[in-house]
Amino acid sequence: MNSNPSPSNSSRFEGCTLTGALSVTTEVRDAVSVIHGPAGCTHHNFSLLHATHLANDRLEVPRLLSTRLTENGIIFGGEDALEETVAQALSLSPAAVFVLSTCIVETIGDDVAAICAKSRGVPVIPVPTAGFLGGVFETGVMNALSSVASLAGPADEKTLSANLIGEKNLEYGVEENAAEIVRLLSRLGIAVNLRFVRGIETQDIRRLGSAAVNILREPALRPVGEDLERRLGTPYVDSFPAGLSGTCRFLEEVGRICGIDATAAVEEEQSHQAEMLSRFDDIAGSRVCFRSPHPMLRGDPGAEAICTECAEALNLIVDPDGAAIPLPYPAPVGTAGLRRMLHRWRVLIREKRRG
Amino acid sequence: MKQIALYGKGGIGKSTTAANLSAALAGEKLDILQIGCDPKHDSTRMLMHGTWIPTVLDLIRERGDENITVDDVVYRGFRGVRCVEAGGPEPGIGCAGRGIIATFQLLERLDALKGDVIVYDVLGDVVCGGFAMPMREGYAQEIYLVTSGELMSIYAANNIAKAIARLSRRVRSRCTLGGVICNAKNIEGEQELVEEFARRINSRLIAYIPRDRVVQIAELQKQTVVEYAPESGQAAVYQELARTVYGNETTSIPTPLEMDELESFALEFVQV
Repeated sequence: MNSNPSPSNSSRFEGCTLTGALSVTTEVRDAVSVIHGPAGCTHHNFSLLHATHLANDRLEVPRLLSTRLTENGIIFGGEDALEETVAQALSLSPAAVFVLSTCIVETIGDDVAAICAKSRGVPVIPVPTAGFLGGVFETGVMNALSSVASLAGPADEKTLSANLIGEKNLEYGVEENAAEIVRLLSRLGIAVNLRFVRGIETQDIRRLGSAAVNILREPALRPVGEDLERRLGTPYVDSFPAGLSGTCRFLEEVGRICGIDATAAVEEEQSHQAEMLSRFDDIAGSRVCFRSPHPMLRGDPGAEAICTECAEALNLIVDPDGAAIPLPYPAPVGTAGLRRMLHRWRVLIREKRRG
Repeated sequence: MKQIALYGKGGIGKSTTAANLSAALAGEKLDILQIGCDPKHDSTRMLMHGTWIPTVLDLIRERGDENITVDDVVYRGFRGVRCVEAGGPEPGIGCAGRGIIATFQLLERLDALKGDVIVYDVLGDVVCGGFAMPMREGYAQEIYLVTSGELMSIYAANNIAKAIARLSRRVRSRCTLGGVICNAKNIEGEQELVEEFARRINSRLIAYIPRDRVVQIAELQKQTVVEYAPESGQAAVYQELARTVYGNETTSIPTPLEMDELESFALEFVQV
């Protein structure tokens, strides 16, 4: 799971568990995230979150507190510092507190879960996030989603609605991608119940269990989908849609889970896709060549198939001497994602033509 | 300045041996510093006549390490032996190994690591890098393994020999094995067994300390044997140990035994 589609983005080299978890917990807007560890872990992540939000035109200050452990905290144990910082967090009147661990406190064996278990009137929820245990950014996202899900209410009656699970909060196109899912679901008459977790409040989490279907951002989140299905009985679709036919299959799958006949919705989407493709008639017949986005990076696993499908639909010719088209990462979401991708192709093809 | 460290299984008698060794060395008109490196902080207690001296880590915890002087951490005991206890966190929390490292850094900064001999008395098991601190460059050059003839104690000694062998491979390492001290449990054939173990790990038995009731009696009087019963045979053994260690110029890089070698060694020596 990465934060930014730019090939120069280093977070694709797997990243830190803590950062992944914070990209989730900081989206619960009335909660405070406490990071139990040296101040640098918090500073680094604060900077990263703040700068990424700014780059995505969001002026937001993540609500982070650090226990600011120093050598003495390591030698004598950091549990007292954690108690104090949780108390400090509670003095800010949050609706929930998330407590995230770091490498060093897991090494010395501070019992974060035991400190969190004390009754304080406000939920204080531990999120295991020590990076050295082998986890990566994605592990942090999954641990955080499972921890935040502990605030869900009982699995009440399902409504004809869907949850978006594990949106990539640090990537550039989060809102466009969510809007595309909303558009596609509306073809089936399905509303979005909860964006889990994106710009929500603690009380919103209670309704996590009332959606008829969970839509995972990507297949890597399947363990979270399984976990939520076990806890709340909500079946899941394992990915946002990608590709022309993939988008139609998505409609069929969501329809099947929700007991809705998707035939009409698929036909409507297919004609919408044809209309979208017709706007790119000017590049039909051009020569293209798909490349890895960067010598050190892999594209999205399904990217090549998605691009080949688009190339065929537009009568493009795949040729080693064609315009170099980087394989997208992550894969574009839905028909709208493909449209944005084709705009970039057009620019690259024109540049090639001009030489 | 000679810096030595005593390592061995927990409860084997390292602190008793170290305190008596320090007391005997001080009797040779030498300036001795003994540093207890164990959160239990009871290494120097007999030298201090039963007084629990404040530990370095207690002081750091209470005052912060900026406001500590040499006089806060170094206490003079029997025969002027200077005593330091590293201490540690409360049992079951924190990181005692990092505590040893912090203690050494503070002692360095206070320029407290001096004298004719420094004796480091270290926690039984070298459980992490922190407890290997005394073996690092600039500290103890000679390690003495304290063991009885009991197999568990020999296993522990062999493990420590592994740590010495590992550290001695480092480029600037001066850490070597000075010898094996047998602190006897009065087991039949004990001296021969420990002697053979020492030989097999490329070292030698440098002292055999027989079991004697006077050790326990002196302890009840909160004194070292050297102080409580200076004319006793046991005191003479410690004085001999002190002379041997102080004059020891034969050290080695140990060749620890593999587990199957240890087991067959045990079978050879223990009569079933």
